[in-house]
Amino acid sequence: MRRPTWLDSPKRELWLAWGATVGFYNLYAVVFFLITRTQPPGQPSYGDAGVVSWFASHHDGLLVGMAFIFALGGLSSTSLALITYSIRRMSVSRAYAYAYLLVYAVAAIPGFLFICVAMTAGAMRPDRSPELQRWLYDLGFLSFSGTMGVFLIGSLVWMTAILLDKNRVFPKWFGYLNLCNALTEVVVAPAWFFDRGAFAWNGLVAWWINVFVFGIYTGVFITLLRSMIRREDFGTGPLPDLPPRKPRRSPENAVATAAS
Amino acid sequence: MWFFVLFESMIFTAYFGVYLYHRGQHETAFLAAQSHLDLGLGVLDTIALLASSWAVARSVQAARSGRYDAARRDALLTAGFGGVFAVLKVVEWVHQVHAGNTFTSQEFFQFYFFLTAIHFIHLLIGFVVIGVLVRQLSGVERRNQETVETCATYWHTVDFLWVLIFALVYVVR
Repeated sequence: MRRPTWLDSPKRELWLAWGATVGFYNLYAVVFFLITRTQPPGQPSYGDAGVVSWFASHHDGLLVGMAFIFALGGLSSTSLALITYSIRRMSVSRAYAYAYLLVYAVAAIPGFLFICVAMTAGAMRPDRSPELQRWLYDLGFLSFSGTMGVFLIGSLVWMTAILLDKNRVFPKWFGYLNLCNALTEVVVAPAWFFDRGAFAWNGLVAWWINVFVFGIYTGVFITLLRSMIRREDFGTGPLPDLPPRKPRRSPENAVATAAS
Repeated sequence: MWFFVLFESMIFTAYFGVYLYHRGQHETAFLAAQSHLDLGLGVLDTIALLASSWAVARSVQAARSGRYDAARRDALLTAGFGGVFAVLKVVEWVHQVHAGNTFTSQEFFQFYFFLTAIHFIHLLIGFVVIGVLVRQLSGVERRNQETVETCATYWHTVDFLWVLIFALVYVVR
């Protein structure tokens, strides 16, 4: 059996990290949106009975889905590693890479671990006091939706590095997209004040618009990281452009080439 | 920077859409709450920001023709008008809070404080951008017309977004 060529490539670790990043974000979406159905979030206005009923209807999905996250959530470190690598590849001070690394090193806790622990604890003993169930419900969703500070600062650090970079690791417009993402992280803050309406943790402003922007941002940065790996020359100067694509051979050209 | 302008315009369009939807649901309550706003202060806010946009446009023109000292003066004037806007906005917020209209008091004021605050954050970033502009214009070796125009585009975006907020939140009945 032939050994895949990418295994011998000096970029194999980068491609592995990129593949793990794609895998993690797909797992994240499947677990939170389909298996546990914790996204979009439950109603913040539920009383004790509503929360108990919510845990009962989500019981199996919470236990199964969160088990996947507990087992594979560490994969989130691969995107952090790649982004930190991208900043190290820039012409800017290493302080940006270290700042980003440190900020995002704690991001998994508000990013998904808190909600996983709180929801799993709620699902584990459905006969617990409704007041305690409601406390776990609030803790889970508020920790998930209301703690965007680390992502705000992380986006600003990455933005600054991209805008100052002279090695053309990422296009400048992506620096500005980081700013757009950072600004939508701010608008989640009112979720701490409201249990209904546009600013509640499941509201149009605090959740739907924010997730829409974050989805675009994530898709774009995963695509640009792929482009960075393809362009990587392991040097220290500007990243070379990719060679222009070869024009596709039309059937007529193919026949002519074969005939000649 | 044009990417930022387009994307932020899209996001603000979504915010305005949500505001108008909620306004449509509770029109009477929104109109009653809106009457507590000081239209005069809103007009002053708008004049201050329009003046700042005029100043930054002058700064770009001066930089294009190589008059960098004048360009730097106009950039500082831009920040000055922006500062006037910021002070007026804080005065207005304090006035509303003292009148009992807070972020959590009624739905209209949720949107009022949200839209004006998120715009205020854009303004604060704008001061950093104008700082970059002044620094660019101050050093011979740093001068770069593309950066000058990028900074001005950002500032115009702040002004443009305010005009929309002013029209929708203060004026439209």
